[in-house]
Amino acid sequence: MGGKAYKVVEKLAEVLELPKDIILDISKIIVIGTDSFTIENHKGIVTYCDNKISINTGIGVITIIGKDLIIKSILEEEIIIKGQLSSIEF
Amino acid sequence: MFITRLWNYFYGYAIITVKGINTERFINLAVTNGIYLWDIEKLDYMTIRVRINAKDFFRLRRIVKKTGTKVRIQKKCGMPFRIKTIKKRRLLVFGLGALLLFLYILSLFIWMVEIDGNTIVADNIILERLDYNGLKVGILKKKINKRHIENEMLIAMPELAWIGIEIKGTKAYVAISEKIEEPDYINIDEPCDIIAIKNAVIEKILVLNGDGVVNDGDTVEKGQILVSGIIERENIDTRYTHSMAKVLAKAWYEDVEEIHFKQIEFKNSGRVKRTYGIELLGKRLRKTKTIHFKDFNKSINEKYIFRFGDYVFPIKYITTVYSELIPIEKGLTLQEAKDRCLERLNIKIKLQYPEDAVITNKKVDYFLNNESVIGKMYVETIEDIAEKKLIDILF
Repeated sequence: MGGKAYKVVEKLAEVLELPKDIILDISKIIVIGTDSFTIENHKGIVTYCDNKISINTGIGVITIIGKDLIIKSILEEEIIIKGQLSSIEF
Repeated sequence: MFITRLWNYFYGYAIITVKGINTERFINLAVTNGIYLWDIEKLDYMTIRVRINAKDFFRLRRIVKKTGTKVRIQKKCGMPFRIKTIKKRRLLVFGLGALLLFLYILSLFIWMVEIDGNTIVADNIILERLDYNGLKVGILKKKINKRHIENEMLIAMPELAWIGIEIKGTKAYVAISEKIEEPDYINIDEPCDIIAIKNAVIEKILVLNGDGVVNDGDTVEKGQILVSGIIERENIDTRYTHSMAKVLAKAWYEDVEEIHFKQIEFKNSGRVKRTYGIELLGKRLRKTKTIHFKDFNKSINEKYIFRFGDYVFPIKYITTVYSELIPIEKGLTLQEAKDRCLERLNIKIKLQYPEDAVITNKKVDYFLNNESVIGKMYVETIEDIAEKKLIDILF
């Protein structure tokens, strides 16, 4: 992750004001209220329980903790999770 | 989201349970293989419930083998599976189709003919004639030539001034307007007499034109000439004129009515029997029931079961109600009998004299015997008895 090339690209993206999530392979997370969690650019699910979901991403494992969590939809680029969210850990 | 739901519904999907230690791996592998999963729920420690497209389901086999999970179908949803179940109930579908076809075929026919606007000519006479000309219950709508029938009807029935046929749904509306009879009109330059239309005594005669033949106080008979249109004078040629006169005359009418003291009145006993029947395409199906009532009132109520606006189908439900009547003998007092007699006489006698007659005298005599009262009514009126009659002149 911390390679020289990565830093150059990151700088370039900053200078040219391009969206980072597209230029660099990092995730974009959208949280709507406390019941909807969307993550774009993921690398698969690590663990799945109804109160804890861990998702592997380009920047590490993201863990969502909540209640009655369900995966509303899962695609190669995007995961939508619904349920009562209580915390998101990076 | 709604669009994808709809898409899934059309292509069919399955709700499956996946049981295994590594369900996460199962999900990841499915995703990387391009299999769309949605509504993933954790049921317990080892199992998850997943929805999957019917097509993708068969591609799971490899993943299942790799991850060592067990897959079981819980439910199949969506259109393709719906259609399958419907196909299994072939008879039901067939029946529905047959019913629709039956209704469609029925709707090609006329099942009701409604006549409106006739006051003089009876309904059944018009119906008979329409039947003869090709408009009747049970005929194909296509076969009806409205213009032709209308013309034929007007030719066949001179009483009609106009007829209009309109077909709406399975109903044929026939609008009729009748001819109003033209009075016999005699032109003012044609010579005519004035004659009496009934036996009477002349009260007043006012001759405007012509030669008065009768005087006030004369008794005239029906058909007698009152004013002559032929004027004959000495030394002058005979003239023919159009007579005009106002002739008021006294006329008499009488009527008799007998009222028995013992009257039988029918009263509802409250006992009612009903029979039900169905009429289909003009054929009646019904259970015959014997009615034990000696006297009864019968009322029939017919109702079309299938009726959608103007689309009436020939299935009738017929309820016949018989309500028993009990005869009750009632004795009338003399006064009651007289009152009733007078009431009836008043109604009866009105039918005899013209509406514009002025009643000058009215008398009722009662004759009694053991059983009844006989009332005799005399009415004296003053009315116009003049009628014009053309003179046939032979030149």
